[in-house]
Amino acid sequence: MKEAERILERFETPESVVSREIKCGAVRGALIVHPDLSEGETVRAVMFALERDGSRSLKTLEELERYALFECETSISENIDECIENLLSGDVLLCVEGDERYLVVNARSYTTRSIMEPPTETVMRGPREGFIEDLKTNLSLLERRLKSPDFAVVKTTVGRRTKTGVAICYIASVAEPSVVKKIKKRIEKIDVDGIVDSHYLVPYLEENPLSLFSQVGLSEKPDVVAAKLLEGRVALIVDGSPIVVTVPFLMIEDFQAGEDYYQRSTFATFVRLLRYLGLMLAALLPALYVALQNFHYTLIPVRFMITLMAAVKGLPLSPLAETLFVLLLFEIIREASVRMPRAVGMAMSIVGALVLGETAVNAGLISSPAVMVTALSSIALFTVPNLIGTTSVLRILYTVAGGLCGLFGLILSVLFTLHYVCSMNAYDTPYLAPFAPLVYSDFKDAIERAPLQSFKKRPKSLPNINPTRMG
Amino acid sequence: MPENEQIADKRDGGGKIKKQSSGRQLVVTVFLLALATKMFLLPIFLIRAAGRDGYIVLAIGAGIDLLSLGAMLAAMFMSKDTDFFTMLESVIGKIATKIVIVLFTLFLFFKMNIAANETLTFYSDNVFAEFDSAIMVIVLLIFLAAVANHTLRALCRLNELLVPLVVVGIGILIAITAVTGFDFGNIMPTMRKPSEFGDAVTRHGSWLGDFTPLALFIGRTDLKKRTAVAASVSGVIGTSVVLFFSMVMCAAFGNLPTYVDSTTNISNILQFSVGNVYGRIDLFSSILWSVAAFVETALFFYATCRCVAYVIGRNSHFGIALGVCAATYFTQVFAMSDPTIFSLLMSNRWTSAISLAFTVAVPSAAVLCGAISARRGQKTAVKDNG
Repeated sequence: MKEAERILERFETPESVVSREIKCGAVRGALIVHPDLSEGETVRAVMFALERDGSRSLKTLEELERYALFECETSISENIDECIENLLSGDVLLCVEGDERYLVVNARSYTTRSIMEPPTETVMRGPREGFIEDLKTNLSLLERRLKSPDFAVVKTTVGRRTKTGVAICYIASVAEPSVVKKIKKRIEKIDVDGIVDSHYLVPYLEENPLSLFSQVGLSEKPDVVAAKLLEGRVALIVDGSPIVVTVPFLMIEDFQAGEDYYQRSTFATFVRLLRYLGLMLAALLPALYVALQNFHYTLIPVRFMITLMAAVKGLPLSPLAETLFVLLLFEIIREASVRMPRAVGMAMSIVGALVLGETAVNAGLISSPAVMVTALSSIALFTVPNLIGTTSVLRILYTVAGGLCGLFGLILSVLFTLHYVCSMNAYDTPYLAPFAPLVYSDFKDAIERAPLQSFKKRPKSLPNINPTRMG
Repeated sequence: MPENEQIADKRDGGGKIKKQSSGRQLVVTVFLLALATKMFLLPIFLIRAAGRDGYIVLAIGAGIDLLSLGAMLAAMFMSKDTDFFTMLESVIGKIATKIVIVLFTLFLFFKMNIAANETLTFYSDNVFAEFDSAIMVIVLLIFLAAVANHTLRALCRLNELLVPLVVVGIGILIAITAVTGFDFGNIMPTMRKPSEFGDAVTRHGSWLGDFTPLALFIGRTDLKKRTAVAASVSGVIGTSVVLFFSMVMCAAFGNLPTYVDSTTNISNILQFSVGNVYGRIDLFSSILWSVAAFVETALFFYATCRCVAYVIGRNSHFGIALGVCAATYFTQVFAMSDPTIFSLLMSNRWTSAISLAFTVAVPSAAVLCGAISARRGQKTAVKDNG
């Protein structure tokens, strides 16, 4: 049948698609199925439905759709590319002789993993659901939390070859329309042969893709994304990815964890302050150690200096080289531990941390204060998991600046970084708000985590059209 | 000035960021400018010139600066939509404006070099045992070039972020002064030669004019009465802090002016009170303070670059920043390092007089042009309304 042939001839290997001639009502027709992608049960149900009603005098696709397949999710299309795209997504195509159009019946079926707690955002208390790789499931997870007619989901596809489904989600009565429009425009503009994960979208959404700082939020948890949508952000869900992208993004989001909102506010505030302290220690401690030892030993308290001098006596490396060596060693061990199989990873940590570190100190290659400083800085690094990459690079740069130019270089390099982040804006949102520019009313969810009933207004740092949250 | 240079952090109805500076940003910038460089070398020169009465000379100079701040705020109040360059153009014409801006650029460049040199001297003489200015100035210039390559808004936001740090630094220094039993016995002025105070002010006029870069805020600030008052108060607070520490320095070294050198500063004086049990906490605090000096240098550098851009009629920020960096490097390494040239720039009567003239002329011109523009605006409005 030529209508079926038109589809099959577009395939490099037509045998991967099954075409069966059938009797559709009063006319001849064909059913085209991709057996790997379609759900057998639905295909069988379609065939039975057509057979059951075969005695009827159904002639057109519209009649078949209305009377024979009324239980199915269907649409009629004459665009052959669109039909092939649907076929490759698992839909069944039905065509009848003499009609160039196709009836598309939803029979999509994917093997997906079940909903489980995401490994990157584990919580002691709070929802344990995480997004999975299926767009539909992910949308349902969000829709279950946002039962509002204002919750808008705009579906589109990205990638000339992959035709990956992307859902742009926002709450229409809260999100700033100009921001939504800008995001849609950016997504529409993407001209690439394929995206396989939501991270592929990130550079297109960021103002400065070369920046060391991430300008989009990434989350695997529906409760976190729903909360962000309620603040006026836009979420992008990509089919095949459990990571949901949210924009606009503020740097303070890196310091906020989903669990903060499920704990008592006083403890959550304390933990949040620890994160800020952790970031500062992670980024600046090795640099300060090197700068003070290299140039400003008079600034160190006398007793502490005596201990330090005893520990570094006779070392072959300069403080800068020594600290860089230990930092590099840590980064290598970390990278190896992440890539190694779990069973070997454990052994790797023991060899790296205990054997290498201990032996190097005993051999007099490095000092124990340098190991301690790096260890403390590295532990502190993990208090803000979203900034691990950024802080790792920054602390090496700061260490070099502190080692070569002392506190003068260190202060200027910190000022340089701060000025850079102060200059960042995306979607009319200052990246460093509510600290720069100062937005006092947003401090209740920045440095502290105030009691939830005090969040009467949405954050002013983010553009939104409905500032009132409560009352 | 190009539109994207405008500083802003308020939103309009459509969620877009308003192209105006926030009042708070102006207030913190004024505070940092008032604090920045008068604490490093100026007290030393004034102690040498007037002994225990040095802080009175500083108070007179600071008073002139505060008056210029008042004039700048008045100009901002009068001209809420028109920037400094356009305002001047509308009153004295384009060519005359360019000439004025060339002179203003030279003044800003001079002030920027003084601020940079002050900071470098503080670090080289107090924080480092060995300090290669020729290398260190490159690090400073990288930061300055980055500032000039971004918007003024970014610098204003940085100021907002840094003020708490500077306040902490000052707070620790004040606490040390108050708690550790500093001897305030010599704090009262002698008033031996009050007639020479004016002479000392005119000799050290190079340190005045700290508020002149605020000209860039004219026409780009959401200035309400409340903001203007707050900015004036922050200027007075900043100046008071500087005066307080100058008094402490004059009390400590006012009777021994010959012992004073570039290592004499509030930090070193307080070190004698604290000792080294907790390390040099005083120096750490002064380093926090020095952040204000970096910011002032950056603001002068930024203003210099934007004035150059106006004069040459180009907006290639990176290229202009590189050019100003090269000129600054040359000035710092080859001119300022020479004691004769340094003394000529810092305490010469002529350079001081020129600097003083700019300190007075720039705010006066801004107020005058602002008033004329406002009047013209009113007349046009009357005409338009029939």
